[in-house]
Amino acid sequence: MFLPADKTDEVDLQKTYDAIIVGSGAGGGMAAHVLTSHGMQVLLLEAGKKLDINKELKSMEWPYDHPRRGDMPPDSHALSGREYTIRKPPYAKGSPYKHVYSYVEDGTGSDYAKNIVVDEKDNPYTGTDYAWVRARCLGGKTNIWGRLALRLSDYDFKAASRDGYGEDWPISYADISPYYDKVDLYLGISGHKENLPYLPDSLFQRAVRLNPAEVKLRESLGKMGRVLTPYRAGVTTDGLKHNKYRVHCYGRGACDRRVGGCDIHAAFDSPTGLIYPALETGNLTLRTNATVNEVTVDKDTGKASGVSFIDTDTGQTYAAKGRAVLLAASTLESARLMLLSKSSLYPNGIGNSSGHVGHNFCEHLMGPGVNGLDKEMVGKPRTLDDGRPGSFYLARFRNLEDRSQKFIRGYGFEGGSGTGMFPDNAFGTPGFGSAYKKTVRDYAGAFIGMGGFGEVLPRFDNFVELDPEVKDRWGVPVLRFHIKFGDNEKKMAKDMAESAREMFEAAGIEVLSVNDDLLTEGYSIHELGTSRMGSDPRKSVVNQFQQSHDVPNLLVVDGSTHVSASCQNPTWTIMALCWRSCDHLAEELKKGNV
Amino acid sequence: MSYQINRRDLIRIGAGAVLAAPAVFAAADAPKFFTPAEFAIVDELTELIIPADDHSPGARAALVAVYIDARLAEAFEAKERDDWRNGLQLVDELSRKMHGHAFMEASADERVQVLTRMAKNEMKPKAPEEEFFGELKHATAHGYYTSKIGIHQEMEYKGNVMLEEFVGWEVK
Repeated sequence: MFLPADKTDEVDLQKTYDAIIVGSGAGGGMAAHVLTSHGMQVLLLEAGKKLDINKELKSMEWPYDHPRRGDMPPDSHALSGREYTIRKPPYAKGSPYKHVYSYVEDGTGSDYAKNIVVDEKDNPYTGTDYAWVRARCLGGKTNIWGRLALRLSDYDFKAASRDGYGEDWPISYADISPYYDKVDLYLGISGHKENLPYLPDSLFQRAVRLNPAEVKLRESLGKMGRVLTPYRAGVTTDGLKHNKYRVHCYGRGACDRRVGGCDIHAAFDSPTGLIYPALETGNLTLRTNATVNEVTVDKDTGKASGVSFIDTDTGQTYAAKGRAVLLAASTLESARLMLLSKSSLYPNGIGNSSGHVGHNFCEHLMGPGVNGLDKEMVGKPRTLDDGRPGSFYLARFRNLEDRSQKFIRGYGFEGGSGTGMFPDNAFGTPGFGSAYKKTVRDYAGAFIGMGGFGEVLPRFDNFVELDPEVKDRWGVPVLRFHIKFGDNEKKMAKDMAESAREMFEAAGIEVLSVNDDLLTEGYSIHELGTSRMGSDPRKSVVNQFQQSHDVPNLLVVDGSTHVSASCQNPTWTIMALCWRSCDHLAEELKKGNV
Repeated sequence: MSYQINRRDLIRIGAGAVLAAPAVFAAADAPKFFTPAEFAIVDELTELIIPADDHSPGARAALVAVYIDARLAEAFEAKERDDWRNGLQLVDELSRKMHGHAFMEASADERVQVLTRMAKNEMKPKAPEEEFFGELKHATAHGYYTSKIGIHQEMEYKGNVMLEEFVGWEVK
């Protein structure tokens, strides 16, 4: 397939671009798409490399065709889940390995993502335990995301009004719904309509199918008023006529065998879905290897004047000028950049008169879940259960109408059953010899499991700040974390494990194991908050159009602006919000209001 | 979902018997890390764990020992290699204790008895040879089920192909 050549555009340092976008993931890619569609001259800066992504992913390579069956080279180390709690950040400090990666590189076929995720040695951080997964390359984490694409509802946007905790969002579902529609149609999404007020449907393409154990669980849950629905995947299953870089899903199953990624780009990724089409407009200049270390300020107007960026190869610093600056460097990196942008006008960092930048962090907790066995499937001929971009999603059911729980907010589960290429039960089945071999074979398709994603409450005292001493490879101060799960998260985790067990038992699935331990903060890779939206400039960083209250031509268009985490995955909401804000920005720029 | 194990999950055993390497190696590609005698034990142990049966060939045919050897040869930490070498020694010691001779000199039945003893506390290993069994089995399962034989013949995996339709039942 044709992908634009690997070239880095020359940035015209004399020119004032209409907009400079920092970061090329879901938010940055969407901003590039929308603003260039409005005819604006846009400069997109990405800290990482532009990879020949198809050569990295090699989605259909067989394990035996790789010298280490997909594992990384021996001088590379991936942090294990345990390392995040038995050691302290920076986790790569003192490691004898040449390269150290986050936990996503552990386990599955990690040689395919080693150039996508960051080397912890170059990118340290300090403070409390936190599993921080970052991808520095064109497209960022969208190259390997889990693809679950869900909408939020007024149960989320107005959660504070419902249970009295925290702040409502300054928007409601009606405001963002048309933009969710636009994202659905432009990028493609697979799913099945369920008509749930708390998990609104998208404009779905062909849904994935369920296998027998999943159908059994869906039917049993239906009797309890709960909904298990085919995985809502940010994947085009019917194709997209308007995008020549992507084809529809062919059920190859590669998306769950590796860290992620799709070399035919049926799964959404920012480069093929958004950036390459934006380049075709002729309005986009793309500069990779450009780490932005400051948003610069016009002292006379107080507005953002552009950015300063470091060439990651040469270390040389450049300044680029723009009429507007949009931050989409990821929730934590955007906060870091705002805090780094100190000036006499903005001594606490740009856009931070409220003192809320870096605060009100929220995310999803992970860990609790259940594994079970559907005995009826033992010894049955195996089907191609991995030949789909996801299995199932079990929608939230706690604290909707009945709110009698000991905790507030809710959680959902992602799960699946059946066989993949590798029989996971080979490790857990006891014994050896022909009996062992036959058991592995007979039982491989009979397992079903699911793991929860729960809403972590935003709290002012869960925050990040700049470390006064530690710097990254490029001499830029790093983040220091102050993030800990609280009482509500712990109570929720316990209930997740208990309800997971009950639901499997009710469906006649034999429960093999239940886990109620929380994984380290950050594990969900759904970091949110740190520059929340709001209408009160004293308590929020940006307005409903993601514009800084202090600096109207500065926008934050990534997950930073989420007021609360909801329990639904954030990517689709990041893009819908960004589209809405960029439409607004284009209008304001035309009117001369920004 | 984790389908493959971590590189460092792979490794631990030790040396002992002095016997000829099996025929899986051409003269040109001798073991990279194991001695020929060690390799013979590893090859035999992997085949005992996943033997050929009427359904498919076993770990020996799938060259699992060759894979383990290659990974150990390039392992970053010497400890990974030492653990395997020591583990293989434990196998011989256990065999001598139980049957009065080294593992490769033992009969087929005796070899199974040695492995059975090593696997005794598989879920909660205590003795060093029990811990080594865990490593050995993990490495064997990983090597076998990621091999051509493991994937295509044993598990009859039909995926990693282009499908026009998803498999399963449509939700109504």
